[in-house]
Amino acid sequence: MNTEELIARMAGAPAPAPLNRGRMAAQFLAAVLVPVALFLLLAGTRPGLIAALENPVVALKTLLPALTFVLSFMALMRLTRPEAEARAPLRLLALPALTALGLLGLAVATLPPAGWIAEYTPFFIVECAGSILVLSIAPALVATRIFARGASPAPGLSAALAGLASASGAATGYSLFCAQDNPAFFVFWYGLAIATVTCAAALFTHRRFAW
Amino acid sequence: MSDTESLWAGWMQAANGGDGQAYARFLHAVTPILRGIVRARGATLSEAAREDIVQEVLLAIHAKRHTWSEDRPIRPWLFAIARHKVIDAFRRLGHEAAQTLGDEAEMVVDAGHEAALAAREAAEEVEAMLGQLDPEAAEIVRALKLREESPSGVAEKLSISEGTLRVRLHRAMKKLEGLGRRELR
Repeated sequence: MNTEELIARMAGAPAPAPLNRGRMAAQFLAAVLVPVALFLLLAGTRPGLIAALENPVVALKTLLPALTFVLSFMALMRLTRPEAEARAPLRLLALPALTALGLLGLAVATLPPAGWIAEYTPFFIVECAGSILVLSIAPALVATRIFARGASPAPGLSAALAGLASASGAATGYSLFCAQDNPAFFVFWYGLAIATVTCAAALFTHRRFAW
Repeated sequence: MSDTESLWAGWMQAANGGDGQAYARFLHAVTPILRGIVRARGATLSEAAREDIVQEVLLAIHAKRHTWSEDRPIRPWLFAIARHKVIDAFRRLGHEAAQTLGDEAEMVVDAGHEAALAAREAAEEVEAMLGQLDPEAAEIVRALKLREESPSGVAEKLSISEGTLRVRLHRAMKKLEGLGRRELR
């Protein structure tokens, strides 16, 4: 087919609806919030949540994944535009990552070696990492479906950010239930669960973002 | 906002509103620029191979046209799509990726900008000459010669037979020819 014919064909096709970024954001937020709300409705929040959040370390257990969620979600939205700068959002994500590493370092420095892994019981590990993984599934699927309609300048990065936003959103909600306040526990296991979802999304969904 | 920018943005806005002709004008306007970009990167490729890449970029523009927001400039959007697809195509072909494509795209767009200005001046001259015809004759010329609509459709719109339409077009063209000769004198 020559280019003139191609243009004529394309010009004859119906115009698609423009990308509604407000609706995309609302759909993704709903996909994150609904499973988390159902989980908290069934399992409840931890006892004495408000009092516990007055402890800065406990507050950071919620604030760090929340900040990661906000930054990765914003980056994901931004990367629906082909002209977006792909690397800039990654620099901001260093903030929660470095803070988490700082918390982990503080725990290792202040606790006796036996205290580092005191809460590393199979039950707590499965409960924590397993819940975050399960709560991430629906938002990750929805994010892939919604955000792949964009035109990311870095499709692999967008796929990873879809996983990161989903898992960090799930971890934020789960942290309101979780009573393991030792940073040596939650930084490691939250981090591992979030990294697993991020890598899995990058690996399995990057083709959906390619164009 | 530059002339090219507003011209292209106007066409794309109309295209997103369902105006296929405006979309065709936009695609026709950007195609020579895309050819220039591809030629600059792939001088060693055959013309057919280069045209295949141009078509790939056009298809990507078509597939992702919904990602352009009317409140944002169109050129960065267009060149980002072109850059993405051209790099993709050259990678596939085993060429070095077009890392400096941004600069070349800007150079080529300057040529495109001049071409667009010249085209607009020509269009204004044509409009000025059509303005000297009676409104119905001018509309017949616009519909049949500029918008390339079908004679049967135009005749139906004007509630006249196709034979009458042909006669009126012929008269209008004769008159335009005369006006053109007078302008040249």
